[in-house]
Amino acid sequence: MQNSEVKIIHNKEVAPGYFLLGLSWTPKRVRPGQFVMLRVSDGLDPLLRRPFGIYRVMPGQRGVELLYQVVGKGTRILAAKRPGESLGVLGPLGNGFPKPGKGKKIIMAAGGMGIVPLYPLINELKDGLLLFGARGKAGTKVIKDFKKLKCRIRIATEDGSAGQAGLVTDLLREEVTPDAVVYACGPPGMLKAVSVIAEQADAPCWVSLERSMACGIGVCLGCAVKTRTHEEEAENRLYKMVCSDGPVFSSGDMDWDAI
Amino acid sequence: MTVDIAGIRLKNPVMTASGTFGYGLEFSPYTALDKLGAIIVKGLSLRPRPGNPGPRIVETPCGMLNAIGLQNAGVGTFIKEKLPLLRKIKTPVIANIFGENIADYAEAASMLDSVDGVAGLEVNISCPNVKHGGIVFGTDPNEAHRVVSAVRAATGLPVITKLSPNVTDIRVMVRAVEEAGTDAVSLINTIPGMVIDVEKRRPAIANRIGGLSGPAIRPIAVRMVWEAASVANTPLIGIGGITTARDALEFIMAGAAAVQVGTANFLDPDAAVKVAEGIRDYATKHKTSAAELTGAARR
Ligand SMILES: Cc1cc2nc3c(=O)[nH]c(=O)nc-3n(C[C@H](O)[C@H](O)[C@H](O)COP(=O)(O)OP(=O)(O)OC[C@H]3O[C@@H](n4cnc5c(N)ncnc54)[C@H](O)[C@@H]3O)c2cc1C
Ligand SMILES: Cc1cc2nc3c(=O)[nH]c(=O)nc-3n(C[C@H](O)[C@H](O)[C@H](O)COP(=O)(O)O)c2cc1C
Ligand code: FES
Repeated sequence: MQNSEVKIIHNKEVAPGYFLLGLSWTPKRVRPGQFVMLRVSDGLDPLLRRPFGIYRVMPGQRGVELLYQVVGKGTRILAAKRPGESLGVLGPLGNGFPKPGKGKKIIMAAGGMGIVPLYPLINELKDGLLLFGARGKAGTKVIKDFKKLKCRIRIATEDGSAGQAGLVTDLLREEVTPDAVVYACGPPGMLKAVSVIAEQADAPCWVSLERSMACGIGVCLGCAVKTRTHEEEAENRLYKMVCSDGPVFSSGDMDWDAI
Repeated sequence: MTVDIAGIRLKNPVMTASGTFGYGLEFSPYTALDKLGAIIVKGLSLRPRPGNPGPRIVETPCGMLNAIGLQNAGVGTFIKEKLPLLRKIKTPVIANIFGENIADYAEAASMLDSVDGVAGLEVNISCPNVKHGGIVFGTDPNEAHRVVSAVRAATGLPVITKLSPNVTDIRVMVRAVEEAGTDAVSLINTIPGMVIDVEKRRPAIANRIGGLSGPAIRPIAVRMVWEAASVANTPLIGIGGITTARDALEFIMAGAAAVQVGTANFLDPDAAVKVAEGIRDYATKHKTSAAELTGAARR
């Protein structure tokens, strides 16, 4: 965990609206699934740092890469940054994904930018099946890098322009078995469906969640998610913090009606 | 740079604001806790509180809105689990307390009175009195007087009363809590605000209304400290949107003897220490001290 000013190595548009940001930042240890809080501007608007998953440790430990989509004010400012400029980075933060256990069938289900935290996981495990869902063919460009990793990939697009027509959860239903372990990241609706499918198949399932964040280190209590703990004496543990208890949670622990 | 607030000796006039610095320990990887004037911990209540459903926060222009719902593990758990670790830090720890009724405030105060490692209490009166039709203690001088008197009677620790900005005349509140025996006054707490998500056509946070903090509120907070200083007989602690030493100096020159840094801790976990260092640099450059600068703009 560090708070540092780091230089931008590159910030290139890899697909329309998607940028790969290389930072000259070398944290001691990064676990797959961890994230950073980026200060995109020295000014006071936007005020808060923005959370981004750690996509890749660059070859030769030169730095770290993030992959982000431009969705609003902060990411627009970020997209305009040039190599050589510096950014405030706080991290690595969060818990990261747990190991799958021996002999498990590893399934990763990703929707859109949800692929980011799964890249370092596949890279570390050197194994697994990636199920990727996007709206159309354009959205599948971001998984180019995955083709170099040793993993099987299946794609689903809503409009059928690439891979199978349908949702990533359709693929998961076909692939999931009781000896599987499921890792998932994506929009809340998708994660909820993934958790139901995994539970029905009796397969353990880890989800990486997103919430608006202010501090990223568990102190503002702003990024709360509701858990299934219902007993009276556990009342003060009803909420967990995505930034410090997560972002990875066991899907069975979450109250999906509140997510 | 040392200042005396309510009998608490501070290395410098910069404290961390309640709810923005956890229990302090979370910041030890990022900042030198020993260089802070004081650490004010997250608001504590007699019984644990689960907090509000999410979303709890939303960003606003130069600020943020929060409705955390005062989530905390309770005074007892704080004493058992956090305080032993906090005793190792060479910075005074001030416990921020709140309650749903006067008896709860008093009991929380007396529990903290009997333990080692708490330098003082900050009483958050921006909460509704559940036993009295939900009127917010900090918006009614009589309620404020009653709750501060009860805390005063329950503890020998220095008492700082933290005022709500949600009043017409802050001077009335300052007088009320001073009469009730507070040793110092801190201000301001967050300002009630609202954001509507126009895509979803509903309020952006689950609680609908939240507390606005950050640089957006600073001019309001400076004005309130200025007004409070016109009647106060106890030291004032200025809070609201401080991100730099210059911001802090505005409060000090308006009449504050010390300041608290809140939301800025989220932008930079080292912000409070930098503010303290900046005030010291200013004082050195101008051959003066924080104490001398207090109220400088009033003279
Ligand atoms: C742990 C974590 C990891 C993340 N990793 C990545 C990543 O690797 N790549 C990536 O592109 N994005 C990631 N995100 C989402 C990213 O943080 C947001 O897209 C970003 O903060 C938006 O900032 P903005 O200023 O551009 O948008 P804003 O102007 O703040 O908002 C624009 C739109 O984005 C939505 N939005 C804002 N914050 C979030 C959020 N935290 N999650 C989802 N939607 C949000 C808003 O509701 C709004 O519709 C991650 C979020 C979290 C919590
Ligand atoms: C996320 C958050 C949580 C807070 N929690 C508390 C609290 O528990 N008790 C309290 O007295 N004030 C609380 N506050 C108010 C701050 O201590 C401070 O008065 C306010 O944020 C204004 O200062 P700032 O603009 O520097 O943040 C909280 C503020 C924020 C942003
Ligand atoms: S973002 Fe502050 S607690 Fe998670």
